[in-house]
Amino acid sequence: MALDMAKYRNLFLEEATEHLGEISVALLELEKDRASVESIDLIFRMAHSIKSMAASLGFDSVTEVAHHLEDRMQEIRAAGSVSSPEELSLLFRGLEGLEAMVAVVRESGEPPQAHPDLVEALSRPVRSSAAAKKKALSPR
Amino acid sequence: MKARVLIADDASFMRQMIREIIEPEGYEVVGEATDGIEAVERFDELQPDLVTMDIVMPKRSGIDAVKAVIENHPHACIVMCSALGQETLVMEALQAGAKDFIVKPFKPDNVVATLDKVLEKTDEHGGD
Repeated sequence: MALDMAKYRNLFLEEATEHLGEISVALLELEKDRASVESIDLIFRMAHSIKSMAASLGFDSVTEVAHHLEDRMQEIRAAGSVSSPEELSLLFRGLEGLEAMVAVVRESGEPPQAHPDLVEALSRPVRSSAAAKKKALSPR
Repeated sequence: MKARVLIADDASFMRQMIREIIEPEGYEVVGEATDGIEAVERFDELQPDLVTMDIVMPKRSGIDAVKAVIENHPHACIVMCSALGQETLVMEALQAGAKDFIVKPFKPDNVVATLDKVLEKTDEHGGD
């Protein structure tokens, strides 16, 4: 059975754009309250959804970044909060990376290039808030 | 007779894809739900023969929705829609009463084969 993938590419663009907008709002909320459970959950779910759609279309680079962002949000959820401003910056980098990739799909219809640096950064272990505080206070 | 299916997934993309895969194979999609709470409500209302249930959904997860449906309809036929890295959650859903699972990205033939198999087994043992 062959599915009309052009239709699904358009649906992906619509839904992914909406999801990225929601991630952006949630990250701004996390800037104010780094323990916002709703925002952490929402980014997790949006990343999961983008991952599933991208995988269905064979956009492996998008799948990979969304997958690592989803995993990171799961770890942050377990830790209870975003540990530091650096962690938040990394999440914004994840958002920007996905936005750029979705823009490539919109403009060319082709799968975007891989983003190994971003994947590597998102794969680093999440530091707990206590560890992040300790690092900030330690003498340099 | 056509099997009546409820599709529960928060992504319109996924709902449309499942519909497009199963309708030509003789399944009738009788309803859709976009979160776990709606999935439970729509199940009660529609009494479908089978539900495809996404694991990650807003308001109430797919696993919690399975538990709620099974509590009132112990023989409900629920197939989980899982993704890469969700093995533990799939096990939890199966323990809660889901009958089987399909993995995203969907392979149309696998989706249909899984649904057919689950319904066959339910017919053999007598459904809810």
